[in-house]
Amino acid sequence: MTKKLSSLNVLSLCLLACSLVASAAHAADGDWKRGRVYYQKVCTECHTAKAGGPIAPNTRTMADWTKYLNTDKHAKGKEPLKMYVSREYRANIKATNKAAEKYADVPDEQLFNDVKTFMLKGAKDGDSPASCL
Amino acid sequence: MRTGIFMAAVLASMLLVSAAHAASDPDSAKLSKSTSDHTKFKALQQEFNSGPEVTKACLSCHTEASKQLHKTEHWKWEYRSPEGQLLGKKNVINNFCTSIRTNEAACNICHIGYGWKDDTFDFTSEVNVDCLVCHDTTGNYKKPAGLAGNVVTKAMEFPPGSGNIIKPIDLKKIAQAVGKTSRDTCGACHFYGGGGDGVKHGDMDSSLASPDQALDVHMDALGLNFACATCHMTEGHQVPGSRYAPTAQDKGDAHVRGKEYTSNPTTCQACHGQAPHKKIAKLNDHTDKVACQACHIPKFARGGVATKMSWDWSTGGKMGPDGKPLIKKDAKGHVIYTAAKGDFILGENVVPDYQWFNGKVGYTLFSDKVEKSDQPTRINHFEGSAGDGKSLIWPVKIMRGKQAFDPVNKRLAVVHTAGNDDTGYWTNFNWEKAVAVGMASIGAPFSGKVDFVTTESTWPITHMVAPAKDALRCHDCHASNGRLEKVPGIYIPGRASDHAGWLDTAGWALAALTLLGVLGHGLGRVIVSKRNK
Amino acid sequence: MARIYIFKRFERFWHWAQAALIIFMLLTGFEIHGTYALFGWEKAANLHTTAAWTLIGLWLFAIFWHFTTGEWKQYIPTTRNIIAVMKYYSVGIFTDAPHPFRATQLSKHNPLQRLAYLVVKLFINPLIWVSGLLYLYYNDLTASKIAGVAGLKLGSIALVHTAAAFMMLAFLIGHLYLSTTGHTPLAHIKAMISGWEDQDEPARELTGNGAGAPAARAS
Ligand code: HEC
Ligand code: HEM
Repeated sequence: MTKKLSSLNVLSLCLLACSLVASAAHAADGDWKRGRVYYQKVCTECHTAKAGGPIAPNTRTMADWTKYLNTDKHAKGKEPLKMYVSREYRANIKATNKAAEKYADVPDEQLFNDVKTFMLKGAKDGDSPASCL
Repeated sequence: MRTGIFMAAVLASMLLVSAAHAASDPDSAKLSKSTSDHTKFKALQQEFNSGPEVTKACLSCHTEASKQLHKTEHWKWEYRSPEGQLLGKKNVINNFCTSIRTNEAACNICHIGYGWKDDTFDFTSEVNVDCLVCHDTTGNYKKPAGLAGNVVTKAMEFPPGSGNIIKPIDLKKIAQAVGKTSRDTCGACHFYGGGGDGVKHGDMDSSLASPDQALDVHMDALGLNFACATCHMTEGHQVPGSRYAPTAQDKGDAHVRGKEYTSNPTTCQACHGQAPHKKIAKLNDHTDKVACQACHIPKFARGGVATKMSWDWSTGGKMGPDGKPLIKKDAKGHVIYTAAKGDFILGENVVPDYQWFNGKVGYTLFSDKVEKSDQPTRINHFEGSAGDGKSLIWPVKIMRGKQAFDPVNKRLAVVHTAGNDDTGYWTNFNWEKAVAVGMASIGAPFSGKVDFVTTESTWPITHMVAPAKDALRCHDCHASNGRLEKVPGIYIPGRASDHAGWLDTAGWALAALTLLGVLGHGLGRVIVSKRNK
Repeated sequence: MARIYIFKRFERFWHWAQAALIIFMLLTGFEIHGTYALFGWEKAANLHTTAAWTLIGLWLFAIFWHFTTGEWKQYIPTTRNIIAVMKYYSVGIFTDAPHPFRATQLSKHNPLQRLAYLVVKLFINPLIWVSGLLYLYYNDLTASKIAGVAGLKLGSIALVHTAAAFMMLAFLIGHLYLSTTGHTPLAHIKAMISGWEDQDEPARELTGNGAGAPAARAS
């Protein structure tokens, strides 16, 4: 019994690992243009209003961003970034935010990927460092 | 046991999530618009070491592409105007970086080719056409300055000995992801005209890569999301709507399918027709005199990127206290002086100038005489007048400059600026040497003396169309000292300078005298009636 | 003291509506001209245009009314007594002399009034009206290809229109003042409100029929 369960465990772990790898690979290929718009119209708009100014992707390296996005302790852990990309959040702000409205139905992780793709691409050592936005 | 169930639950949820993902993935749900997937083409499944290698692969299917491009201004950088002037980037001189001559390796990174570094460039070469600069979709294709439009596939130090490492780009990945042109691809050059973001045009800068509606109703990334080619409707790689061949006034109807048009598809009228104002029909009465852009682009450089309004080369060459070339910045951090280029005045949210424009543009070229007594020299100027029947009032950016010329031969100077040699102005700060090389390159005489003339150039304002609610209002022009104060030859109700002075004087005098008369009469009556009591 | 009914209901309505419109048009017109800012240029232009159409409508009605009722004859000019009237306003009015003219239903206006109103109706009104319409349809003039109209410049049209507006202004000032010259300052105004004019003496023969005064009126 124990043995059987543990083999299930192993199988699960293996599949989990595989899907993680797959989604990591996928992450690099998000729609950077959609990510850019979401970043500008949702993240930057709030940062300009509440975080003392915009946060440019090229202020950090790709490694920094990857770590930041994986730990996801946005704004000192108050709310995770995933929350700000979620459909629920988009539904909440869509009356006043056109990006949230237009992308209302994009699945959470897909949009998160898009934003991530844009941030990594725009990182200090990324393929196309993005200064402002 | 517990862990087992947990893992199973995690697994199940992961599967569910990815299933949901697949189902609503717009890429799989939506029909792909292209019939081909470039990642599947054998020709593109190879490591590319240079741009021309990619082009060769492209040409293996798109057999006619380079021949089409060879016919374009994008390739030739040369254009003969209807008035007979030989124009195009190759031949004109401007009051930004002045001329590409002798500076090809730097300037020509915006040529749609590989390797144009001097006069020896082969304009008949098919593989030297750069497909990727227009058809990249990754946003990662780069043509570094100084390499004559070539790309870097292995990390390299440039300029040699500078310690500056240029990152290589992944040509295979970029080639496999090619697609339609976009604001990003066109913008890679057109946003940066004049040597930097927003410098030249004022109505085109990197803020248009992903603009909001307030900045541009058509390109609004969350709205209509026009690409450049939506208006610059291109067939066979021939891009219409060049400012070298402008349409100042379009009297045609909106273009519909099934009809053939020879007229410029980039005009407002080509979509909106002749009577676009449905709610306030009176506005349609303006279109015979006023270009759409005049009201609908209330200001330029509205996207947060400053544009150069003035450039004074004559103050170049100053060294800072540290003995290094001086750089000055304004409060916002914009560079307003460099030793290499002199003083700049930048502008954001700039109110355009307004001029009659009939589509003809005259240029002052290398070969034209320039008199210091007759300033400013008009590097180019828009022709037109109220009465010629072909002109509309257009918004323009007037770029003012002070630039080098040869006071003896009376020619505008071609200046060798860029280049790591001992004559380039940007590294040596010596005008005489730099101009000598420049003038020699066009076979022009040079007296050895360099002086400076003030110059002006005119740029049409036509992008950054604002939403209707932000368009100009009547009183912006129907007033004294309004936007059109200096536009001659037309009666604008409300503009005092159009009034017949005698009429106003006589009119008010008549009214005043009548008033005085009746008041005097009334006073008499009052006095008489008091006395009688 | 006699009371006579001088101004009929339509006439009173027409007078006051016209008065309001003309004052309003002067107000908006000179804002369009650029003399001051009151409504804002856009609003002034819109209001001026709306008022113009209203005024034109009113005039059409009034013209129709004048001809069907024969009232147009009130404006036929006469020189009879005109000297006496002029003398009255320049001298008599200060010495409390009686007005040489007594309004009747058949002849409401003294000879001077007749002349003034005729100038307004035959000169200022058409001038303002025609130039205003040309102004309004300026964009269609060229296309119209009507000789003499197609080539008109907006500046010339505006010049005529503005000149007419100044004349209207001068008329208005004089007219407002003269309305206070009845036997009491408000007498004329009251009459134009109620239609009834108080008269301390019966109408005198000498004033009655100007040349062509309606002898055989329908009413
Ligand atoms: C509701 C407002 C809001 C939204 C939306 C928002 N942020 Fe933030 N963000 C903040 C605030 C506030 C801070 C500053 C926290 C501090 O300084 O303590 C911040 C800080 C940051 C920082 C700086 C590091 C940190 O975490 O303190 C980054 C990076 C960041 N946000 C990224 C993002 C991204 C990416 C998005 C969009 C997906 C986003 N934010 C959306 C409010 C927001
Ligand atoms: C008592 C009557 C009127 C007065 C006092 C008056 C006065 C004026 C004045 C002073 C102007 C400004 C002119 C300028 O600066 O160019 C003006 C403009 C104008 N008027 Fe009149 N006007 C009167 C009646 C009319 C009528 C009857 C019409 C039309 C049939 C008309 C149509 C216009 C138009 C179209 C303009 C130009 C407004 C614009 O450009 O939108 N007006 N008027």
